Amino acid sequence: MIQLTKTGIDGLDEILNGGIVKDSTTLISGNPGAGKSILCLQYIYNGVEKFDEKGIYLSFEENQKDLRQAAESIGFDKWPEYVENGDIKVYDKQVLLRENDFSSSLEILLDDLEDDEYDRLVLDSLAMFQLFFESEKEKRTYLLKLTDILRENGLTTLMTNEQGAVFPETEIGLENYLTDGNIYLIQTPTDSGVSRYIWVAKMRKQNTETDIYPMEIDWGGIKVHQNASAFSMMSEEESPI
Amino acid sequence: MASAELLQTLGNKYSAEILDATDEPISAQDLSDELEIPIATCYRRIDELTEHDLLELHDNILSDDRRRIKVYRRNVDEVRVGFDDGLSVHVEERSEVTNKLDEAWRTLSDR
Repeated sequence: MIQLTKTGIDGLDEILNGGIVKDSTTLISGNPGAGKSILCLQYIYNGVEKFDEKGIYLSFEENQKDLRQAAESIGFDKWPEYVENGDIKVYDKQVLLRENDFSSSLEILLDDLEDDEYDRLVLDSLAMFQLFFESEKEKRTYLLKLTDILRENGLTTLMTNEQGAVFPETEIGLENYLTDGNIYLIQTPTDSGVSRYIWVAKMRKQNTETDIYPMEIDWGGIKVHQNASAFSMMSEEESPI
Repeated sequence: MASAELLQTLGNKYSAEILDATDEPISAQDLSDELEIPIATCYRRIDELTEHDLLELHDNILSDDRRRIKVYRRNVDEVRVGFDDGLSVHVEERSEVTNKLDEAWRTLSDR
């Protein structure tokens, strides 16, 4: 029986047929603004609020304050409280990118991982993490080692990746093969703003719905709608939302 | 002088091959088999390279027949030789980030 970790995101767990496989690593890809960081914030926040699971949030992209503001802007009012009492441990870019000091941050992080205290982890973003390695071979090797370390320490992980959806031409990075699951967030401009979609492209060991679903980002975070649309980048008039 | 001595060590037969093969920790016996180096020479080279911090004793692992065996890993990513202001040899050590991940990953398999 495969154990699942619920994201607690409305609609997403249904598409995933229950949640993300426990201890796996899932890559969240999308263009800037597609909602990757919000999905990750929500995953960590819900972990504490709904499932009593502690989380670690690693951000090379934002500092502590940006994250708090982002969380509060979508109604995650208890974010600061959870960070304060240690239910959510944040390593922000100021900590992670302190000059020449990523290795000491890494050491603290690895200690945290071994504590078995945390169940969820977010790495935002994979591209920044990979900057610490020199060759393609090294990047792949250490991504695999990191995912092994996370799995063995019982962490269910989301990593973000700056990458557009892959229609119709594809240039799929190797990281897509190295992780257990791939979720794409897609946004297309419309007259009135933007339409958002989510696509669970791959989940190892799991039957998932592979349609593309409309989603929205609003107060309370991401909501995924169950009525799958016949996906078309071209005509957005009959948006199913 | 130290720089010349370092170059000498690097230039000894099999030194470069040994450094090339020790990306991941490996025992002297495996090095000897893999690179077809006589075992005594292999040990001598390992000692020399270790003395100059180019190679390090990474761990004592338990072999299949439950003996402790030493495994070695290179400690260097790059060596630059300059002659501008007299002979200089700069050794670029392996990044600590990769070292730490290697170590954490290695302890997983020990559990």
